[in-house]
Amino acid sequence: MTNTLSMRGISKSFFGVEVLHKVDFTIEQSEIMGLCGENGAGKSTLMKILAGIYAQEAGEVVFKGNVIRKGTTPLEVQHLGISMIHQELILLNELTVAQNIFLCREPRHKLGLIDFGRMNEEAAQLLNKLGEKIDPRRQVRDLKIAQKQMVEIAKAISFNVELLVMDEPTSVLTGKETKILFDLISSLSQQGIAVVFISHRLKEITDACHKVTVLRDGNFVATREVSEVTARDIASLMVGREVQESKVSDFAGDPNAVMLEVRNVSDDMLKGIDFKVRKGEILGFSGLVGAGRTELMEAIFGIRRPKTGKVLVEGQPVTIRSAIDAIKADLGFVTEDRKETGLVLCRDIGENSNYVFWQKGRGFFKQPRASTANTKRMIDRLGIRCSSPRQLVSNLSGGNQQKVALAKWLLSGARVLVMDEPTRGVDVGARQELYRIIKELAAEGVAIVIVSSDLPEILTICERVIVMHEGKITGELKSSELTEDKVMYYATNIQAGEGHGG
Amino acid sequence: MEAEEKKTEGRFLQLVKNIWRNYSVVVMFVLLLLISGAFAPRFLRPENLLNILRNTSVVGSIALGMTFVIIAGGIDLSSGPVLATSGAVLIFLQRMVNPDGTPAVPLPLAILACCAVAVTFGLLNGLVITKAKLPPFIVTLAVGIIARSITMYVCRGATIMGNNIPQFTQIGSGSLFSIPIPFIVVIVMAVLFHIFLTRTKYGTYVFAVGGNENAARYSGIKVDRIRIITYMLVGLCAGIAATMEMSRMAAVAAATSGAQYEFEAITAVIVGGTALSGGRGRLIGTIVGFIILGIVNNMMIMLNISPYLAGAVKGAVILFAVLMQRRER
Repeated sequence: MTNTLSMRGISKSFFGVEVLHKVDFTIEQSEIMGLCGENGAGKSTLMKILAGIYAQEAGEVVFKGNVIRKGTTPLEVQHLGISMIHQELILLNELTVAQNIFLCREPRHKLGLIDFGRMNEEAAQLLNKLGEKIDPRRQVRDLKIAQKQMVEIAKAISFNVELLVMDEPTSVLTGKETKILFDLISSLSQQGIAVVFISHRLKEITDACHKVTVLRDGNFVATREVSEVTARDIASLMVGREVQESKVSDFAGDPNAVMLEVRNVSDDMLKGIDFKVRKGEILGFSGLVGAGRTELMEAIFGIRRPKTGKVLVEGQPVTIRSAIDAIKADLGFVTEDRKETGLVLCRDIGENSNYVFWQKGRGFFKQPRASTANTKRMIDRLGIRCSSPRQLVSNLSGGNQQKVALAKWLLSGARVLVMDEPTRGVDVGARQELYRIIKELAAEGVAIVIVSSDLPEILTICERVIVMHEGKITGELKSSELTEDKVMYYATNIQAGEGHGG
Repeated sequence: MEAEEKKTEGRFLQLVKNIWRNYSVVVMFVLLLLISGAFAPRFLRPENLLNILRNTSVVGSIALGMTFVIIAGGIDLSSGPVLATSGAVLIFLQRMVNPDGTPAVPLPLAILACCAVAVTFGLLNGLVITKAKLPPFIVTLAVGIIARSITMYVCRGATIMGNNIPQFTQIGSGSLFSIPIPFIVVIVMAVLFHIFLTRTKYGTYVFAVGGNENAARYSGIKVDRIRIITYMLVGLCAGIAATMEMSRMAAVAAATSGAQYEFEAITAVIVGGTALSGGRGRLIGTIVGFIILGIVNNMMIMLNISPYLAGAVKGAVILFAVLMQRRER
């Protein structure tokens, strides 16, 4: 049987970091192929190369026996019969369903004007084929997400698609909608269309796919028949053979010295979250992207308002309605995206490091002497490499920026420090320094909560790990029982009994 | 030897570059003074220079407040009309006399009322912008149109003359040690504002809100409050400007009092090097900025150029100033 698509030896780097290393990927006609891997394994990048959004540095893409040359535009790729449905749907909200489907290919009258009658009719036919009853004249903004997805699929089919790539299509769907989508995928497959299906939910892979390909750290790991593997096997493949064990000993401090307690935090994303972190403990939050970890931290810190939930600091309930309330309760929050929410890039180190210190202090004036001393102390302690405290934060490297973002909370005297992806975009050397600082802070009695999607990072510093999946806590592990594959089982929420053995 | 020479030369170049980066507006200012002096010797006479300072002070006052608004990432297009409305309030209060001919409302109280009206407009701007989350451009444009219309209504579209009270006239037309009083007022304001902007926490928060609103919010800064304060501040400045303008003109013209002043003020702020994108800026730049505009106006008269061309020259000044600042970044 001939391969519909074969990608061979695909390599790609971003800013000198290799994200794909000689990856092979093949799919045959009518096949439904699952594509799995941890965050950052290279799934989306591989598919974006296929769709013509990125150009590979090495390797070739062969579709129906013809090489797709590098530099082929996404539109040309679509005309060849390959369509991709992105994680974030890219429909134009202000246009109608039919206008979106036929964007830039609108049927025209003789005079060159758009023939809306014919366009709506053809759109209706396409949607009928999918068993969807959406009025093609409706504005896309009024549709539900599942319906928008159907419009994307209709658009793909209108290109006479032979290979359809879907990047985590189910992450935004309800159970019922997912079922409908799977029926549709299977009927597309019966019409001879090959489907690549990316998902973090391994059960969906085993339910809906014929085969599964696993990537890890930009490398091809394996392609297996789904009938021959269990979800657990796939999880093991995602993590790798040499499963890393935790290098940290269990928390040895007073188990009763609870610094922060969170009770029953719920909103539309979070489902009844309870957890505690003790004085001097380093607690990790693991999970896949979209598990709700950042949302949880924002809810605790007063950035989001949860529907229910209580926060206690050292046993005392505190009411947190905005960031300033959290700051007054001695909480600190080093955010995930320092450029968006952590730092004022066009101001200097001195100002950025003192914002919270000033909030906490009384008075109208800045206390220049104390502020300057603060900044100097932080530059020394955290090893911030800069020409002077007056240097603009925008001129610092990622690691040094992260240290300034951290300095702001150290100077506030936070007793609980939440760090969301503390080493994202930080080079290896600075990363080790940050780990050392985190451990020092814990030794001084600060309760530390680390949200990280980087499993080796969790294993390197956390004494206890809570794993989340779709807004729920699915598991908790002490560092002595911590292994990458156990975390992965919880993070992908393989049903109980399947994941626990061994 | 040679290498050393090169090094010192490098350092010298570096110094020149630094001066240009930080003080380009001052360099431009000095150049403008020299050129003006060369073309029109009368220009450099003290009475002419002092006259320029007097003439620019009204816009200058608004420009000081506008600097805060722009640093916080906003803009205020209502200052000119608000000047007219609050000015009208001042003139009306000042015209009220008792049967015996003495003023019914004490002058300080009238001035206070004038400023209060202007601050209220600022509060209105700030509340709508932050609570309804509407773009400052649109909100202040609308509020400006409303303010102008109210002025037209209460004045019936006409020019209302004020009473001739010597103390009142002094504010706009008097001098202290031969320095125009309006300019003294503006300099005192500038010093106070400078201390507020650079030495207090709130001043720093103004920069933070304009530089990155989200980061400011996550740091616990009350972003809405800071933004409202900046609009109230520019309102206060418009009220003070109105007092000086009414004193000099001794009348409020419903249609033309304060017309275009908001744009003149914004021009002064931009020429002074404050970034329209927010987060960066200095009051000293604004001061030099409005004096430059004053010189341009003055030179148009000196050189007998049609006043209708003033706009063309000012537009060119804006483009030139912004271009120079862009080059350096």
